[in-house]
This record gives sequence, structure tokens and C-alpha cells, in this order.
Amino acid sequence: MIHLLIVGVLVVISTLGIGLLLTGGWILPQQASQQAITVDWLFDLHFWFIAFFVSLICVIILYSLIVFRRKKGEKGDGVYMEGNQRLEIAWTIIPIGIVLWMAVIGGQTLADVERRDPDAITVDVVAAQWSWRFEYEVTTAEGVATKVVSDTLVLPRNQQVLLRLHSQDVIHSFFVPEFRVKQDILPGGEKYVRELRVTPNTNGNFSLMCAEICGQGHTTMVAQVQVVDGSEFESWLNEQAAECNLSDTECGQRWAQTFGCLGCHTTDGTTVIAPTWLGLFGHNVELADGSTVVADTNYLRTSIIDPNAQIVAGFNPGVMPQNFDEILSAEQIDQIVAFIESLSN
Amino acid sequence: MRFFSTNFFRGLIAQIAGTVMGMGLVMALRVIFGLPLSSPIEADDAHIREVIVVGGVIVGAFSFLVGAGVFGDWFKWARGEETSDEHTVDSSKPNWMRYFSVDFDHKVIGVQYGVASLLLLLFGGTFAMLFRIELAQSGITFLNSEIFKVLLGYDGPHLYNTLMSLHGIVMIAGILLGIGAMSNYLVPMLIGANDMAFPRLNAFAFWVNVPGGLILLSSLFLGGFDTGWVGYPPLSLRAPLGMQMFLFGVFLIGVSSIAGSINVIVSIITMRAKGMSLLRMPIFCWAALATALIQFTATQLIGLSFQLVMLERLLDMSFFDSLQGGDPVLYQHLFWFYSHPAVYVFILPGLGIISELLPVYVRKPLYGYKWVAFSSLGIAAVSFFVWAHHMFVSGMSPFLRIPFMYSTLLVAVPTGVKFFSWAATLWQGKIEFKTPMLFTLGAIVIFLLGGVTGPPLATIATDLHLHDTWFVVGHFHDTMFGGFIFPFAAAIYFWFPKMTGRMYNEKQGVIHFWLMFIGFMMMSNLQLVLGLLGMRRRVADFDAALGFDGMQLALTIGGFMVFFGMLLFAYNIIRSWTKGEKTEGNVWDSRSPEWQRPNPMPLHNYDQPFEVVGEPYDYGLPNSTYVNMNPAGETPAAH
Amino acid sequence: MSVVESYATKLARNRLGLWLFVISDAFVFIGLFVARMVLLGDTRPHLEQGLGLAVTILLLVSSFLMNRAEVEIAHGNRPAFLRNIFITMVLGIIFLVGVVGVEWQLAPFGPADGQAGAVFYAMTGFHAFHVFTGVIFLFIVWNNGRRGHYSAEKHWAVEACAIYWHFIDVVWMFFYVGLYLLGTPV
Ligand code: HEA
Ligand code: HEA
Ligand code: HEC
Ligand code: CUA
Ligand SMILES: [Cu+2]
Repeated sequence: MIHLLIVGVLVVISTLGIGLLLTGGWILPQQASQQAITVDWLFDLHFWFIAFFVSLICVIILYSLIVFRRKKGEKGDGVYMEGNQRLEIAWTIIPIGIVLWMAVIGGQTLADVERRDPDAITVDVVAAQWSWRFEYEVTTAEGVATKVVSDTLVLPRNQQVLLRLHSQDVIHSFFVPEFRVKQDILPGGEKYVRELRVTPNTNGNFSLMCAEICGQGHTTMVAQVQVVDGSEFESWLNEQAAECNLSDTECGQRWAQTFGCLGCHTTDGTTVIAPTWLGLFGHNVELADGSTVVADTNYLRTSIIDPNAQIVAGFNPGVMPQNFDEILSAEQIDQIVAFIESLSN
Repeated sequence: MRFFSTNFFRGLIAQIAGTVMGMGLVMALRVIFGLPLSSPIEADDAHIREVIVVGGVIVGAFSFLVGAGVFGDWFKWARGEETSDEHTVDSSKPNWMRYFSVDFDHKVIGVQYGVASLLLLLFGGTFAMLFRIELAQSGITFLNSEIFKVLLGYDGPHLYNTLMSLHGIVMIAGILLGIGAMSNYLVPMLIGANDMAFPRLNAFAFWVNVPGGLILLSSLFLGGFDTGWVGYPPLSLRAPLGMQMFLFGVFLIGVSSIAGSINVIVSIITMRAKGMSLLRMPIFCWAALATALIQFTATQLIGLSFQLVMLERLLDMSFFDSLQGGDPVLYQHLFWFYSHPAVYVFILPGLGIISELLPVYVRKPLYGYKWVAFSSLGIAAVSFFVWAHHMFVSGMSPFLRIPFMYSTLLVAVPTGVKFFSWAATLWQGKIEFKTPMLFTLGAIVIFLLGGVTGPPLATIATDLHLHDTWFVVGHFHDTMFGGFIFPFAAAIYFWFPKMTGRMYNEKQGVIHFWLMFIGFMMMSNLQLVLGLLGMRRRVADFDAALGFDGMQLALTIGGFMVFFGMLLFAYNIIRSWTKGEKTEGNVWDSRSPEWQRPNPMPLHNYDQPFEVVGEPYDYGLPNSTYVNMNPAGETPAAH
Repeated sequence: MSVVESYATKLARNRLGLWLFVISDAFVFIGLFVARMVLLGDTRPHLEQGLGLAVTILLLVSSFLMNRAEVEIAHGNRPAFLRNIFITMVLGIIFLVGVVGVEWQLAPFGPADGQAGAVFYAMTGFHAFHVFTGVIFLFIVWNNGRRGHYSAEKHWAVEACAIYWHFIDVVWMFFYVGLYLLGTPV
């Protein structure tokens, strides 16, 4: 009996120790969304259960190992006990109760996390190998509906956003650790669009990371998330909605950024996934079929519209998305070409 | 060079010849049907090459089995000839040759499985070490070394993805073979039979792993694959040729799993010794039975899903590519319908070993034998209904999530019964710390960590954060080390005298344990913490700004400690096999029937059937025995 | 050990083994059927109804004859056994020709044409492969029977062959419904 008493005390001490350690708040990232608060509450509950069950089993085992070990020269067997029906039933029933309760709580927190706000703003998230694009519907001051495309996810604070997730090729996954939510993004059009709701509650910069392996560039498939005040968000949106009234080269650079070209192409001469754009324009390009072409405006335009027509030696076909023709306007393509051109001077 | 006359070597030659012939055959067929053999368009050309190579590899795998003579007796039956059921040993050949031959003795097959399993673990471990070096600090450096580009034709993130994916699947293949080793070696011995129910099927089940494993590993040299071990389409439809090797290699290993499990079930049901009712079986047999029940049904679904992906790649059929009308989530359902129950396949035999060894070293009965036995069946039964917990964020129908949360959490109950019973078994025993016992205790603690990290994954809200982070990685390393690697090591140490007639080196065993236990604790706990902090899975690099460098370095050191521990283990068993101290009889003072026989186990396990007269684990009950080795009271017939 | 086990012991063991195999194999077909339901839902491919019905009846008849073959050998009637099993085999071959040789050619789509093509060729293909192995099995049993193997007491191979053949037949009944009857054609 004294044994059981000591074990009991040790279990309590150990549970408190481990539990306080785990719920200390250092083990999870910053909480930056309404959802994170709910999720973290459930985490803490789990941590206490973990602390208790680990303590319970480990203390009994360690205690037995020390107290009931075979002393030097000791012979004979342990105490004969076959089992105890009542005890067995108890440690079956009690855990059943606990897990059912956990499941109920689990369901409630899930409902909480997914609670809908009818005023949520909608953002379309387009994931592709290996870039992110965010599309906002805006009505400008003149009352014209336009689309704002951005490579940074800018969100207003304390406002629920409904993210509609599209993929152009393989499965990706939307994950911002500080928001504590995640959703896979499936290719295949409207039928496969999935939704995710978050309510950011802290201003700051975070990283949106693709969490489902999607090939070579999975590691670097990261985008910026900026949470800003509502008013700041509005002005950002309006600024973006205005036509690109910079020079062609600068607009081109902006499109190359927004539409993910720079996820594969670099402008500094290194080769990551695709040929670099530095010094491309006007120079000879060796193609996979052995021929050589000069990278002029025409060649660049075809390379963007129909990437598989001419494959650069040393690269694989089918890597570069084939649908830029539909996504980009002719003007935007010209501006990108102008940008590439500027990289050779 | 006798090695060149072994079935193994002949099989290898046949596989190479068969692969070449198969490729020729596909090319010939293409010519006959007027299809091109090459194409100026690189994409089409790659596709044509893939069709030819896959054709060759399939023929090659079959050729291995024919060349090695695995089908020998079956071909005889087909021709209407009789074959002998006697185990005969050609005494003119040295003993080691049996291990490279198609031998029907379950003990030989068990050892073959075991060695093959350790070899696969060695490969998987080596891959892990390579990518751990890369992950030890932020920035991609090591895997960009020139040597990889030269050797393999690729490097960088794609190499990381390939190594990581191969690590996962090769380790899992290693586990499956390790389970084959334990159930083949132990089950007949424990139930008092002289062999498995279908010895030829048993040999087939082992040998099909050899071409399977070779094909799986060949993936590394054929472009690799970057999908992780789960191979989700559409990514797996676009991966290089190595993907096909992964799919087909795993398919063959699955075939082995099915054939092996049928053998285990039939043996346990029909071949038990006199008096051995189901509730008097050594507890490991319950675990083996529950495992086999999962294996022989669920495995078919992974086989099917992999075949469909192969077909989709070869023939452009659209099952899973949603851009062509398929459904990517369907694949995940088919895949996890196997691969979830499979994780319980990985652990049940190991938990059986824990329950089997504890009483011997504690000198007390296994607490609540019946409950422990039925909890294995309980886990197996529930395991079929929880697969979608891997898909909480996959975009499957949302209404499926809640029911799967409930069923998943329920698995904690039968697993908990095992833990409580083990703890009660240890209570008031006379505990002895020999190497197998150390590993048993380590297994319990580590598996406990793996188990309790399950519920946070199972409640959907927390999984929204945890899915595809390193928390999952930590969870399953804990469960798989605790449920398989540690118990497997314990089993090898424990039955080593039975296999070889010699004793392993105790001191090295203890060092092995501490290296591995401490190294592993460092490794997996850091994985769990990194995951909680938001580190994604399957990334070749991480941002230095996240501040993970220190933890990742420590994690790599832990991983290397485990690796070196296992190398010491290899050294210990290889050396003790020939140089170890000779042992006699019942080394551990166990009640189990196999220990009542000489070491190593004689060719025919039991010259005379024994009779079960008591409970298996009544240590501490005076004047009780489990088996009567000589029920008829005769002297055993001379051999 | 040199204790020779009795035929009855072995027979019981073999039966259990075979049934386990059948259950196991059934999971492949269940998986295919699930894939069909997910991908095609309440539509079905446009197929030659007459042909489908014909091969189905063929397979049913063959299954019946297989049963006769087994009963005959159990009564020691070798000629009748051989006749029945031979016809079973021939019907099996005709089935294969009907599905692979005719239906595959008539179908308005190839395997690469959408989900309907994928599902149709996968289901019939996996099943046809089983029929093919079944035919080989039938041939082996017929051939050995011709050479005087099997007796009224000992004919496990015939029994095994029959179980396997019935299994293939039952699978086809489900597949026939799934491919030819369920849902509306598109
Ligand atoms: C080797 C085996 C193994 C085992 C035994 C388990 C056991 C469990 N696993 Fe694990 N799991 C894996 C291997 C395993 N798992 C692998 C390989 C993956 C990742 C695959 C991949 O994506 O690559 C995975 C992933 C995985 C996921 C998906 C995570 C994700 O990707 O988002 C989930 C979610 O529910 C999960 C849950 C569980 C649960 C609830 C258990 C339970 O069985 C645990 C039960 C045990 C206990 C709970 C401890 C003991 C019990 C007590 C002491 C009683 C009292 C306890 C309570 C009342 C809570 N596992
Ligand atoms: C049994 C299963 C098993 C085992 C033992 C291990 C062992 C190890 N694993 Fe892992 N691992 C997996 C199964 C396993 N792993 C799986 C399934 C994945 C998921 C893959 C995916 O995401 O798709 C994974 C993923 C995975 C990751 C995540 C990668 C990522 O997501 O990016 C990491 C990272 O640290 C890792 C590390 C390690 C390390 C350092 C070891 C070390 O402990 C390794 C040490 C070596 C050994 C334990 C074996 C050595 C053996 C010998 C030397 C025997 C020699 C004897 C003779 C020849 C007689 N593993
Ligand atoms: C997923 C990766 C990826 C993305 C995103 C991508 N490309 Fe490419 N791109 C490639 C690859 C790989 C090649 C080389 C193979 C080829 O020629 O198609 C290439 C080739 C090119 C070339 C020819 C380059 C040369 O050296 O001759 C141009 C021009 C080009 N891309 C423009 C673009 C533009 C503009 C965008 C964005 C609107 C873009 N790419 C987005 C991968 C990508
Ligand atoms: Cu996109 Cu990973
Ligand atoms: Cu699971």
C-alpha cells in the first residue's frame, strides 16, 4: 500500500512538472488569428492529458525498476498475480469515457474554428508549381469591378477572410503556422475548389508555406502574408486596382513577380529551376533538339505563350505552366518581355 | 565459388536476363503494332522509354522467381508430379548455403527475412544519414555536391525529396520483412509445429521480396521520385521514371505480405499442439494473428492503388488526375485504407514481443493475459475504420471528419489496456536487466510517447495545425521505433541463442541500448517540438530566420547515435554468430516450449509432439509447467 | 518430423488457405467497384448491351458446368468430369475473346478517354486477367485428370479450381451490374 501511495504522489508531481513545461507557451508559434486561440486551448488540454498519462505509466515503470529489481544474489520469482477483472474493466471504461469526451470537445472546437462570418471578404488563392497568387475582387471609386492580383497576401486585421483555394497542377497546401489552420489545395477547377476561413488578429508579417509536397520547388513555395489595419488594407487595395502606370519595364517586373515567374526564373544569373533571365535577351539559346536560336522579342513571347514549342537544352518540357496565354493579357506579356530585355543591358 | 551455384545468384542472373528480354519484347510488340520506339519530342520519348523499362522490369521480377526455382514444386504439381513434404538437407553443402537457397524450413526462411530486413534498414538508415547531414544546418549545401550529379544525374532539392521518400518506404519495407522474420521464425516454434502450413508459399513469400527490394532501390538510379512515401497523384503522375520502380517494388513486397499472412493464419488455426487452446497460446501468436488479419485484406488496396497509378502513367488512363476528370482524393482513400491499418501491422508483432519477454525477466505472469490478447484483435478491428484521419485537411467530404475523429480516438482504449497490463506486470516482480529486457523497457517508454502524441493529431482542430508538420514525423518515429525497432532488437537478442546456438556479447548489447535510447530520445523529441513550432515536412531546407538550426543539428547528432548503435548491433551479431560463447538449452529459464529444446533449434523442431498442460506465463506459481515435452513417456525416436 | 499428416488434415488446411486467398482477392475487386462508384457515380459507359448479356450468361453456364465437373469426380465419373471441365474451359476462353477481343474493340472509347474509359478497361482488365489465370488452372486440372489423376476421395485440385472459378463468376456478376446496368448511359 505504501508503494501505491508513493507512486501516487510522484505521478502528481510529475504531471504538474511536465504539464507546466508543455503549456508554457514556448512550444507553439505566435497566435495571430482568432482560430489560433481556440486551437491552442485544445492544445493545452491535450498537453495536460499527455503529461498525466506519460507520468502515470513512466512513474510506475521507473518505480518498479528501482524498487522491484533483482538484488544481487536474490533467487526466485516475483509475486504471483494473474490479473484482476475489475481493474481491467476500470482501465478500459475510464479511457473510453475520456476519449469520448475528448471527441466531443474536439467537435466543438472544430465548429468554433470553422464558424462563418457572413461579412467575410473573399480572396482567391491560386497555387501553382511553385508560386502563389492572390486575387481580390474590387470595385474602384468609379464603380468599375476589377481584379487585383498580388503575390503577397495582404489581409485586414479582425476581419474574417474566406480563402478560395485553387491549384493549377498538383496538390498544394495552405499553411500559416501563426494562424494554426491548414487546407490542401486541389487541382481540377471549380469542383475542387476548397475553402478556408481565418480571422487574423495581429498586425505583422508572416509566411505562407506550402505544406504538401509538390516537387522540386516545394521547399521554396513560400509567400508573404501581411496583416494590416482595415483602413490600410483599403488603401492598398485601391492602389493596386489602379492601372499599372509605371514604365513598361517596371510593370513587367511587377507581373513577373505577381504571376510567379520569379519563383522559377532568377534575375541574378543563378539557375534554380529554370534558365536565368540575366543576359538572356539578344543572346544565343541552345535548344534541346540541338539547334540554336537568338532570344529576340518573338522568341520570348512564344516561350511564354507556348513553353513546350522550344525547349532550352538541359531543361525538361512540361515544367513551365502552359496556361500563361490565358492568364496574362497581351500587354502584360509585352511588358514582361520588356523587363527581360532590360536585364541584358 | 559455391555462391554462384546458389538459387539466389541464379535468380539474379535470371532477373537481369529477364529484364533485358522483357524490354526487347515490349519493343518488338511496339514494332508489330506500328508504334514508334522513340520520339523527337522529349516528353513522348520519356514516356516510350518508361513503357519499355517497366515492361522489362515486370518480366525481370518474374524471371527472378523462375530462375531461383521458387516455382519448382508448383510446376511439378501442374505437370501432375508428386513432391516430397520432407525437409531434407544436402549435407554435402555447407550450412550457410541454405540461407541463399530456396529452403522450405521456416527457421531458415525466418532468418532470411531477418537478414533482408536488417539490410533494408541499413539502406534506409543510410539515406536518412545523408539527408540528415543536409538538414543539420539551413541552406542547401551537402546535397548540391558535384558527386551526386555525377553518380545519379540529379542533386539538390530533388535529391532530398528522393532520399527522404526512399528512406520512408525502404524503412517500411524493412519493417514488413522484420515482421515476416518474427512470425515465420517464432509462430511454428511457439505453437509446437514443425513448419508453417504452406512451406512453398512461405518460400515464395520471402523470395518475391528480393526482386521487389532491388527494384525499389533501383529507383534511386532512374531519376528518383519526389512524392514522399505516399505517392499522391497528380504529383506521382509527373515524377520521373523512378516513380514506377517505387510503385512496382512496393507492389511485390505487398504480394509477399499477403502470401505470408495467409500462412500465419492457417498455421495458427490448424497446427497448434495438443491442449493449446487459443487462450493458452503464447501471446506473440495473438499478435501475429491480428497482424495477419489486417495484412491479408487491407494490403490488396495499396496494391490496387499503386497499379492504377502505374496504369495511369503508362496508358494515360484518368483515375486520379483531376485535370483529366479523375479524382485525386479517391487515391488517398484507397491508399490509406491500407496504409493506416498497416501502421498497426508494424507494431502489433512488436507489442507481442514486449508481452512475451516481460514475464520472463520479471518472473511474474503476464497481467491480464486475456485482455492483452483481445486488445490486439481490438486494435486490428478498429484500425479498419480510421483511415481518413490522414485526410482531415485533404479536401475530402467534410462530413467524414467527425466520425473518423471518434473512431481514431477509440484506438487509444485497447492500446491503453496493453500499457496498463505491462505496468501491472512489472509491479512487484523480480526484475532482471539483460539486454533484451532493456530493449523491451525502452520500447514501452518510446511507444508510449508515440501513442500519446496520437490524440492531438486525431482531434481535427489541432490537426489543422499539425498536419504535414514534423510533429507527425516525431509521432510516427516514436511509434515505429517503440513498436518495431526496439522490440525487434529485443527479439533478436532474446532468440539469438536459439538461432545460432551461441550467446551475443552482453556488454556490447548494453552499449547498443544506451546509444540508441539516448540518441533516439534526442531525435524524436526535437522532431515533435519542431513540428509544433511549425516546421513543415518534406522540405530540403528551412529559413535560418526560423531559428531551427541548433535543434536540427542536435537532431542530426541523435540520428547518428542511433545509426552507430545499430552498427554496433550488426557487429555484435555477426561476430557472435561464429565466435560467441556456446549455449545449452534454456538460457533464460523460460517456460516456452522452444526453450525446452537444444540450441540451436534442431532441424525438426519437435521430434515428438508435446502437450500443453498449463498456462504459458505462470512464473512464480510453484509446481506448474506450461508444456509436457514427452506426453507419451517414450524415448524420442532416434533420427 | 517424419509424422506423415493425413490427407484430411491437409485438405482442411488447404481449404482454409484458399478461402483466405479468395477473401483477400475480393478486396481488389471491391476497391475497383468503389473507384467506379466514385468516378462514374450514376452514369455508365456506353456499351454493347447484347454482348454484355451474352458473355455474362456464358460465364454463368460455365460456373454451373464447373460445379457438375466437381460433382462427377466426387462420384468417380471421370469421363463426365473431363467433359464438363473441358467445356468450362472453352466457355472461359470464349468469354475472354468476347470481352477482350470484341467488346474492347467495339467500345467507343479507349483506355485514355476519360473516366469512363479508365474505369471500363480497369474493371474488365483486372477481371479478364483472373479469368485468364482461371483458364490456365482449368487446363492444368483437365490435363492431369486426363492422365488419370484425381479420384472420388482425393481431388483437392478440382475443388480448388471450382472455388476459384465460382469466385471469378461472382465477381463478374457485380461488375456486369456495375458496368452495364447501373446508372444512365452517357
Ligand atoms: C507505427 C505505427 C503507428 C501507430 C501505432 C500509430 C498510432 C496512432 N496514430 Fe499515427 N501515424 C503513423 C504511425 C502510427 N500511428 C504514421 C506512419 C503516420 C504518418 C503517415 C504519413 O503521413 O507519412 C501517422 C499519422 C497519424 C495521423 C495523421 C496526422 C496527419 O498527417 O495529419 C493521425 C491522426 O489522427 C494519427 C493518429 C494516431 C492515433 C490516435 C494512434 C493511436 O493508436 C495511439 C494510441 C495509443 C495511446 C493513446 C497511448 C496509450 C494509451 C493510454 C496510456 C491510455 C489512455 C490514453 C488516453 C485516454 C488518450 N497518426
Ligand atoms: C521504421 C521506420 C523508420 C526508421 C527506423 C527511421 C529512422 C530514422 N528516420 Fe525516418 N522516416 C520514416 C520511417 C523511419 N525512419 C518514414 C516512413 C518517413 C516519412 C517519409 C515521408 O515523409 O514520405 C520518415 C521521415 C523522416 C524524416 C522527415 C523528413 C522530412 O519530412 O523532410 C526525418 C528527419 O529527420 C527522418 C529521420 C530519421 C533518422 C535520423 C532515423 C535514424 O534513426 C536512422 C538510423 C538507422 C537505423 C535505425 C537503421 C540502421 C541499421 C543498421 C545499421 C543495420 C545493419 C545490420 C545488418 C546489415 C545486419 N525520417
Ligand atoms: C514552374 C516553373 C516555371 C514558371 C512558374 C515559369 N517558367 Fe519560364 N521556364 C521554365 C522552364 C523549366 C523553362 C525551360 C524549358 C523551356 O524552354 O520550356 C522556361 C523557359 C522560359 C523562357 C525561355 C527561356 C530561355 O532561356 O530561352 C521564357 C522566356 C520563360 N520561361 C518565361 C516565363 C514567364 C514570363 C513566366 C511567368 C509569367 C514563366 N516563365 C514562369 C519554368 C517556369
Ligand atoms: Cu506546393 Cu508544396
Ligand atoms: Cu493512421
